[in-house]
Parts: sequence; C-alpha cells; structure tokens
Amino acid sequence: MSAGSDVTTGPIPVGQFVNLVRNTLRHDKLFQNQVIKGEITQWKRHSNGHTYFTLVDSEGQISAVIWQGRCTIDSLIEEGSVVVVIANLDLWAKAGKIQLIVNRIELVNKLGILEEQKKQLIASLRREGALDRMRMKLPMIPKHIAIITGFGSAALADMNRLMDNRWPGLRRTIIGVTVQGENAPNEIVRGLLAAGKLATPEYAKRLSQPPVDLIILGRGGGAPEDLWAFNLEPVVRGIIASRIPVVSAVGHESDLLVADLVADLRASTPSNAIELCVPEYDYHQMLSFNLNERLNEAANRLFIDWRKELYLLQTRLLNAPLKGIFNANKSVTQLSHRLTNAVSNQFVKARQNLESISTSLRLNIQKSLAEEATKLAVIESALNSSHPRNVLQRGYSMLTSKSGSVISSANELIQGQQIILALADGDAKATVDEIEKR
Amino acid sequence: MDYDEAITRLEEIVQALERGGIPLDATLKLYEEGAKLLEFCQQELASAEGKLNEMRLSEVESKLSE
Repeated sequence: MSAGSDVTTGPIPVGQFVNLVRNTLRHDKLFQNQVIKGEITQWKRHSNGHTYFTLVDSEGQISAVIWQGRCTIDSLIEEGSVVVVIANLDLWAKAGKIQLIVNRIELVNKLGILEEQKKQLIASLRREGALDRMRMKLPMIPKHIAIITGFGSAALADMNRLMDNRWPGLRRTIIGVTVQGENAPNEIVRGLLAAGKLATPEYAKRLSQPPVDLIILGRGGGAPEDLWAFNLEPVVRGIIASRIPVVSAVGHESDLLVADLVADLRASTPSNAIELCVPEYDYHQMLSFNLNERLNEAANRLFIDWRKELYLLQTRLLNAPLKGIFNANKSVTQLSHRLTNAVSNQFVKARQNLESISTSLRLNIQKSLAEEATKLAVIESALNSSHPRNVLQRGYSMLTSKSGSVISSANELIQGQQIILALADGDAKATVDEIEKR
Repeated sequence: MDYDEAITRLEEIVQALERGGIPLDATLKLYEEGAKLLEFCQQELASAEGKLNEMRLSEVESKLSE
C-alpha cells in the first residue's frame, strides 16, 4: 500500500497519516529486529522502570527506549557507552517521534571496559597502600575453616575430597554463594560478612563451635568474565576488611584477579588452597608422637643417671667413718625427699599418655629412695647403739682373752686364766680365781 | 601460644634433655614444661576436628540472625 493512493479523495487527518507511517514502519522487515551500533547519550533510567536514551554517532542519532523488564541491562552501561542494540523501529504517533524499541542491549568491548576498571581499581588500591598492607598469618592448625564458594560446584567437591584426604573430619563451614553473574559480588560480600560473624567469640559461643579462623574464597576456572566478580571493588574491599585471614583461590594458575592481590594468601586454584591451608593429620600425629617418645627417653635416661648417683652415695656412706654418717644420712634423706616430692608433684600433672612411663619411673625412684633411706637409718642406728664404746660408757666392761678375742660365755673360761677387762677409758689385766656357772 | 610456637619450644626442650648435663631441678622443670606442651599440641590437633556444615548463604544468614 502506498500513502499516495488515497490522496485524491481529499486531505488526510495528520493522526491518520502518522499512523499510516507507523504501520508501514512496523511491517517493514528492514526496520524490525535491526542490529544497530551507537554511543549512548541522555541515558536516563526513569522512575516508572523504563529506560530512555539516544543512540548517536557522527552521522546521526535516534531516540530509544527499553521497556521495564524487556531485557537485562548490564550495570556497566552508562552515558557514553558504545552499545549494540537489537531493536524495532516505531513511531510514537502522539509526539510524531520515531524511536527504537530495544529488545536487547550489549556493551561493545565489554572486556576492555572491565580491564580498564580493574586497572583503575588496582591503581587506587596501590595508592591507598592496600596492596602492601601487612598480611595475616594463617593458623598452622585451623580449627574452623569457612569456605565461600559455589554451592554444589565442582571446585567445592575437589576441595572437600582433598581435605578429607589430608585431615578427615577437619571442622569446616561451607557457605554456598553465587560466584558469577550479577548477584555474585553481593553474595560473596555477604558470605565474607557471615564468615566474619562466625569468627567472633559471641557467635562461636552461641553456635557452640570454635570461631572461624580461616576463610577460603574459592571458585573453579572459567572465562575471564565468569571470574569477574573477584575483580570488583565490593569483593576486594570485603577481603581487605576481613579480620581473619582470607585465602583467595579463584580460577586457574594463570588467572590473576584483584582478590588475589589483596588476600592474605593467594592460592593458584581451589585445590591448591587446601594444600596450603589444611595440614596433614598423619604428619602432625607422627610429629607429636615422636616428640613424646624423645622427651620420655631423654628424661628417663637422666633419671636413671641420678639413681646411679644416689646408689654411689649410699655405697660411700656405708664405708664412711662413724662421725660423718649422721649428717650424710640426713642430707641423703633430704635429697631423696626432694627428688621424691619433685617427681610426685610434677608427674601427677603430666599427660595421660605419659602416665604409664612417669608412674613406673616415679614408683621406681620412690621405692629405691625409700629403701636406701631405710637402709641408711638401720645402719646408723645399729652403728650408734651397738658400738662397744657406747656400751662401755654406760658402765659395762668387756672381757677378752690375752689374744684379744671377746669372751661372752663362762664356758670359755678356765681357772687361773689371764684375762683383759676392757673399760671405756682403759684396760685392766686380771686372773680368773673361781668359776660359777648359771 | 599457638601450635607452631609450642612445637618449636618442645623441640628445644627435647634437644636440651637429650644433650643432658642439666641439674635435677631444671630437668624436672623442662620435663614438666615438655609434657604440658605435648598436651597442648594434642589438644590443638583434637580441637581441629568437628562437623562439616554445608549451607547456602541464606541458610547461614538466617542461622546467624536467629
């Protein structure tokens, strides 16, 4: 149909004419679903939900509208963005205005824009000193790891498997978030905040678990755009703000993200994060077992040496002159008390699995010391009470033959025998006159 | 004190006892310290074991706001 065919019948009302044009435009395939490239000016997101802008280049311009909910609008699109739209041409009859009804809008060179933003973010972080800030030390034995990653992702499965190999049953809380797409930055930041709360004593107490002491922020490999959340400022700031160490474990070895630059530790992959953060249970059990053995062996050897020394002391005492015995015995007794006390006081507190060794050691020491002390006491008292000099001092005298052998029975005497009477301070010679047996 | 500090100190103690030549009092003190450190390390290892919680962000958040 051509607009001119009806002209001869009289003038057409303008509204009718405009609608005629509109119909023509709307039915011409040339103007429908057309792919058009241009720069955005007068970008305006209206409160009614629709977005209005003008697409322009050096040769011309045209108004455009995106009806609310018609298509997703990249948050990077702004005044001056170069975009490609897929749109239908329409004529707004009331205003006589031609405009594009946009079905789809994409940024041109999105990755270039992202790269530029990343560069700017890194530059401003560098200026702030955020790249050189002191990093937190990772706990050697983490007691509660929070892993922020894609829920049910392959990366999570890898991490869980590797953790179970290294330390089965190591405590962990997995916080499943969206790791790519529009919601990713927000969810990752909230994940970091949640992990931060789990790290406080207050929440740890409330949930009856140790506070989170390490965060692994992980995501498997993907296209640069898929990993982009980890280059965005909110996520980066979230990592910097964390009060507990954050390990960044995003993508592959070759992917370097801003999150990697600010994290307390950069792992090349999620699996690598587990290797760096999760100790090997067997190694640490063996380490502590070996130290236990060495500690006991060394202490045991030293204690045996001291027992030998005490034994030598005792032997020397047995051969020592009478006068020194009492003092020496006292000091040995004191020494044995000290050793016994020290051993019993300190060993009581010793570890459960040291108990058997220390108990037997303590008993042995106590037993031998007690025996030694008893022996010494017996020796001393025997020596003190039975020495002839002590007896003679109490008024007794001792009878010996001329040859010096002690005579303790009347049967050993014969009449007329010469004998010697030993007194405390001297001897007397005498002769036996008469023998009366009892 | 954390685990690696404890292990480092424990290693020093064990080496000192292995060298010997320390008075009885000091030996007993070292032995006691060593036993305590070992106990601490064992506790550290034991306290690392616990539950595996796997939750979506929203579940974690609602648990935290309970």
